[in-house]
Amino acid sequence: MSARAWAGWIALTLLVAALVHAGSLYALPYVVMNRTFSILGDRNMMHHMARADANSRKVVRPSPDLLYSACPYDLSKGPLEIRATIPHDTYWSVSTFDDDTNNWYVLDDRRTNRNKLDLVVQAPDSDHEVAATEHRLVVTSPSRHGLILIRTLINDEDRFDQIDRTRRLATCGAYVPSE
Amino acid sequence: MKFGLKLAAALVVGIALGLFATWATVIYGAGPNALSDGPWQTSLATGSAKSGPYTRAKVAMHGLLALNRSETIYYTAYTDSSGAPLDGACAYDVVGHDPDARWWSITAYGTDDFLIPNPVDRYSISKNSVLRAADGTFSATVGSAAHVQNWIPTARAPFSLTLRLYNPGASVQSEPGNASLPVIVKDGCT
Repeated sequence: MSARAWAGWIALTLLVAALVHAGSLYALPYVVMNRTFSILGDRNMMHHMARADANSRKVVRPSPDLLYSACPYDLSKGPLEIRATIPHDTYWSVSTFDDDTNNWYVLDDRRTNRNKLDLVVQAPDSDHEVAATEHRLVVTSPSRHGLILIRTLINDEDRFDQIDRTRRLATCGAYVPSE
Repeated sequence: MKFGLKLAAALVVGIALGLFATWATVIYGAGPNALSDGPWQTSLATGSAKSGPYTRAKVAMHGLLALNRSETIYYTAYTDSSGAPLDGACAYDVVGHDPDARWWSITAYGTDDFLIPNPVDRYSISKNSVLRAADGTFSATVGSAAHVQNWIPTARAPFSLTLRLYNPGASVQSEPGNASLPVIVKDGCT
């Protein structure tokens, strides 16, 4: 084979390598996020995960000092409403992630003086936009699929049961407009 | 036939090279926007929509569902302060004072990025649990040999530490590569 032919084959190989590298790099976050949605359970439901320990294998690098409640979402059938009790005596946050791993919204206990969270998450192409009110926050997800994650810090082991009970009040379900 | 074989070889080698490059990038690459503070490494773009594909891929594999830096800054150490890889066959002293944040914790993880099994089900120290000296400083032991207090157990295997700063202070947010973070000093190996 001539040197020119070799150069051509090498260039083709490197081109394929570059395309596969770029494609796999872009696809990886979507693959991992979709796998996580499936592992966590049904969409549009709040899953209150047990405190992380060495047996926890759902999400990498969990914190054993936080309690996690997660709602994998699919907004194709309409907006979602998340309700929760916000404790003001420990760190608490609700955060939202799109299907590309980006954290596109976060609210923690210090950024609000509300005691109750009423958060509506709507799709980027929602037919009927939900209006925010004095008591209801409305955010628009950049993607139809994503994840809502509530973190509650166990700042006192003696109060574990109380902290756990409070965070288990959080719900996630279809938004139903009031009459 | 010969042409077909060459084409197949180019495709197979190209695909293998491309996947290897992705794997190596995710496992070993520091990624853009990465910075170090002693042994602690962090990325300014973690969790942010402004992060590029390299940061996103690393986050997907090693820090999924990480919050953005205005809420939480995550530092990870794979080495001690001298640059030697962390290994559970050795004991380490993690010495410092409370970082500038509302709440912080230091947690040990195995090479699989999960918590390390240990007899006392202990995985971290935190602002709430660490015992401090009279001057406010703390010293924690990291390793497989049991200690009564301020102990983060590991297996006798390589591991890493993650330092979480929730609601980081303004100084850390503005200069995360220049924060005053604990040092990690090797105490000895068995």
